[in-house]
Amino acid sequence: MTQSYLTHLECSGCGQQFSHNEIHTFCPTCQSPLLALYDLKRARQAVDRDEITRRRKGMWRWHELLPVLLEENQIFLGEGDTALLSMPHLNKELGLTNLFVKDESSNPTGSFKARGLAAAISKARELGVQKVIIPTAGNAGGAMAAYAARAGIKALIYMPRDTPHANIEESQMTGAEVILVDGIISDAAGMAGEKARAEGWFDLSTFKEPYRTEGKKIMGYELAETFDWELPDVIIYPTGGGTGLVGMWKAFAELETLGWLSNTKRPRMVAVQAEGCAPVIKAFEKGALFCDFWTNAHTLASGLRVPKSFADALILQDLRESNGTAVAVSDEEILKAQHLLARQEGIFAAPEGAATLAALQKLVDQKWIQPEERIVLFNTGSGLKYLTQPT
Amino acid sequence: MANNVLYVEDNPDNMMLVQRALEARGYKLLKARNGLEGVATAENEDVDLILLDINLPDIDGYEVARRLRASEKRALASVPIIAITANALKGDAEKALDAGCDVYMSKPINIRELWARVEAFVPMP
Repeated sequence: MTQSYLTHLECSGCGQQFSHNEIHTFCPTCQSPLLALYDLKRARQAVDRDEITRRRKGMWRWHELLPVLLEENQIFLGEGDTALLSMPHLNKELGLTNLFVKDESSNPTGSFKARGLAAAISKARELGVQKVIIPTAGNAGGAMAAYAARAGIKALIYMPRDTPHANIEESQMTGAEVILVDGIISDAAGMAGEKARAEGWFDLSTFKEPYRTEGKKIMGYELAETFDWELPDVIIYPTGGGTGLVGMWKAFAELETLGWLSNTKRPRMVAVQAEGCAPVIKAFEKGALFCDFWTNAHTLASGLRVPKSFADALILQDLRESNGTAVAVSDEEILKAQHLLARQEGIFAAPEGAATLAALQKLVDQKWIQPEERIVLFNTGSGLKYLTQPT
Repeated sequence: MANNVLYVEDNPDNMMLVQRALEARGYKLLKARNGLEGVATAENEDVDLILLDINLPDIDGYEVARRLRASEKRALASVPIIAITANALKGDAEKALDAGCDVYMSKPINIRELWARVEAFVPMP
């Protein structure tokens, strides 16, 4: 059995190809993110989607479409196969009939970041990487630390000083060195990049290596499988770095090439950001190909405090291809939505996840969403990780 | 319209990358390896756009931008300046814009974005 149908890496900007048997970061020619490509024609002939459904639960049951070549290099902590929950009370509240939440809080380390870091650390181990570094708004650091610990790889994390305490503590608990930075994730990214260049750490920053996207794309495969190989009408996704949004859009294209979908209908993708840091919304609305760096970024949703994603061009391209849109919500709206989701449906969502409900309310009001449409919100993590210590 | 782009940058790798990228699109690149050289080149040559690294070995990019905007050469008050920096440190973007830059970009420089941003000010020759 072929473990992976990975064939090569390709630059998302200029199309230059690279070997997957070597360590790569981003394109050295045009400095755009690299994407992993697979021999989907062969996979289409050889892989039975229904057989995948019968495998042991978790992200790695999709191993043919993931980049790790040897099973022994897969690092598994239980990531993937998160619940897709119907929302009976919110349906009534909002006048909808088909609302779902993909609840990523059950992933290891309590957030969707586990998926991307499981793939990236596994591939890093396969390529012989000994030490990894990451700038993070919080959850990616905790996830990287856990997978690096499991892989026996040294981990160094740069995070803003005001990162939720749980992220700092979980990272340290799993053996990572944590450096707290005055500023936000872009400040942490600058310092981590400098350290990586000076001392040879492998930089796992969002889209500055090709494999985190691969782990995240499995969210798209799971959605297709759960909806009996149809895709939802609308996906509402909190967008900081944008790995999940880009990854799922990639997954939908792969699924179509594999011939696994019942029809060719694709979802409209919605990027949600905070009003205090909304570079994607601004660029989307003015028809720009790239985002301007957002100055004075501020929001309580730390995962959305990303002034400019390294993959901004891909995010904008995918939103437009999907006939989607981009929505900004205020911190007040996020907090209200967090309470609403908890009280009505029993989900204590991360603020980033709650932001998707706030955005949904706006889209329903604008009639951008129709009552009968099948809608999926992504709760990217557990609200528990954002609790502050009593003073 | 002329197509002279001045790049003020002390890192030879970045200089090479940007030179290749812009010359491939027909722009002429003028090079300065530190801030003072950058100010002097801008004052002595015809420059249509300036790419300005912030972390320079002598005066920093903010000071370069301020001197350009206050220059006796009147044209430099309005020449477009794109600030570029390796470390998107807190307030860098704000400081760059306050110093008179028009746009802020952080490294690594995405070449397609660079083309788009340069072309927005100086159409491709």
